[in-house]
Amino acid sequence: MKDALTKEEVLHVAELARIEISEEELQMYQVKLKTLLNQIEEVTKINDHDSDYLIAPWQEDAILRSDTEGEMLNSKDVLMNAPRKSGNYIEVPVVITNE
Amino acid sequence: MSKYIPTIGIEVHVELKTKTKIFSSSKNGYGSMANSLTNVVDLGYPGTLPTLNEEVINTAIKAAHVLNCKIRKKQHFDRKNYFYPDNPKNYQITEARTPIGYDGYVEIEINNEKKKIEIEEIHIEEDTCKSAHRGKVSLLDFNRAGVPLIEIVSKACIETNEEAKLYLEKLRQLLFYSDISDCKMEEGSMRCDANVSLRKNIADPLGTKCEIKNIGSISNVGIAISKEIERQAKLLDQGESFQEQTRRFDDKLNDTILMRVKETGNDYRYFPEPDIPYVIITDERIEKAISSLPMLPDQRKELYLSRGVSEVNATKIIANRNLSDYLNEFLDTNLNFQVATNLLLGDISGYLNRQEKEINQTELTKEKFIELVKKVEENTLTSKNVKDILDEYLETSQTLDELIQKNGISNITDESLLTEVVDKIILENPDSVKDYQAGKERAIKFLMGQIMKETKGSANPKLVNEILISKLNK
Repeated sequence: MKDALTKEEVLHVAELARIEISEEELQMYQVKLKTLLNQIEEVTKINDHDSDYLIAPWQEDAILRSDTEGEMLNSKDVLMNAPRKSGNYIEVPVVITNE
Repeated sequence: MSKYIPTIGIEVHVELKTKTKIFSSSKNGYGSMANSLTNVVDLGYPGTLPTLNEEVINTAIKAAHVLNCKIRKKQHFDRKNYFYPDNPKNYQITEARTPIGYDGYVEIEINNEKKKIEIEEIHIEEDTCKSAHRGKVSLLDFNRAGVPLIEIVSKACIETNEEAKLYLEKLRQLLFYSDISDCKMEEGSMRCDANVSLRKNIADPLGTKCEIKNIGSISNVGIAISKEIERQAKLLDQGESFQEQTRRFDDKLNDTILMRVKETGNDYRYFPEPDIPYVIITDERIEKAISSLPMLPDQRKELYLSRGVSEVNATKIIANRNLSDYLNEFLDTNLNFQVATNLLLGDISGYLNRQEKEINQTELTKEKFIELVKKVEENTLTSKNVKDILDEYLETSQTLDELIQKNGISNITDESLLTEVVDKIILENPDSVKDYQAGKERAIKFLMGQIMKETKGSANPKLVNEILISKLNK
């Protein structure tokens, strides 16, 4: 299908976004995502030199901050929003496994 | 194993020694209580905006300069997108397309030959939070989130684990001496990943590469690379093909193990960071950054050699920056650097190691060191004398003359008295005399030792040497 992504491609994107999708949604996204990509391809035809493209919604150059310390949060406040904590650490399910 | 040619590339992450983080004004520090050095920017709260620390740019310019890189004057940041608890924004801000430095090199010396290890690029990025894995949970500390990093990417031009180690040692020395980073691998302020692949012939395309992540010391980089070469060679021997993978070095197993792979390559969906406009680096900023650099190791070495210091001593002094900085305070004096480095690397280092002190924590003022070197140079003090008084000399404000008097150090320069001792020793050691006359130069050292023993170390060694040689040659 030229006007659609493969099922694998859509499933891969879903995996990267950490979302589950149904068979119905899968078919819909095969077409919708491809349409989107085609439109982006049109945009890239307009300007092919990428050294000076617009990256921010304004034209000024970055203003640099001086290296001086400012206010920080109290660690108690930091931990208040954590679903689980252990001592002064934020606790999450294990993120590294050896196969 | 020798039938395969290894190709090795190394990526080094270095934390920059700035006061604050890269995009927020939180303190950049190590060793504080977990989650105590953060603000809403570091924690990735919605609606917060990054503000770039100018010292990060200045420090990265210095790094690019000392690693012989070209410096890019217009750059922008990019978002590297991934889901992982170490980064709650779900993207890391990095320079994917416009690294600040590129096309550089570091020169190493291997088997007495110089080799340039080429550097592909240096880019600036933010560090993620630190995660420690404990069984079924991971513990997160956001003190590290937003600490400025530079990533130094070498070209895949390293051929052995020995070259890899030399490259990393040189890199560490350069960055440490430039005040760019404290480069403590044990604290994670310098971290290494190595990419290893094998091929049969130099004309073959590069083999499948494997990346070994987060190796905790330079010697472990050597071990990890040789283990990985072994592993791949075995697979190739058995005719097996294998996939690209990410492994990590486990220092308890002393081997590399497979990691579950996160996103790679295109999966990161890089795009320009819209919250930070283009960063323009002026010539003025570059000049200012470079002119603030302290003297680099190679420059120091050259200077020491020109002042008569041996190659070995020059290398040893540079390995200890505090000693080298101390010695540099005497560059505009006529101090005998040969004697000075012998003292610094010998008895003074011995004292510092025993006391776990640095030289600037002693009472050895500039004037006192000049005096000490002068007395040793003139042979007014023997090496035994130095040993006897050094601790007190380094710990108190007493002058050398005071200590000499207090310790009853007499330096026998009375020629007739010394001649008497020399005669006695010659008479007592006929075998050594014969040895010397038969051309064994070492025998003279033994005789000298006997004379010093006889005089309890107080004879003027230069004078004794002269008398002894004239007697032996009669």
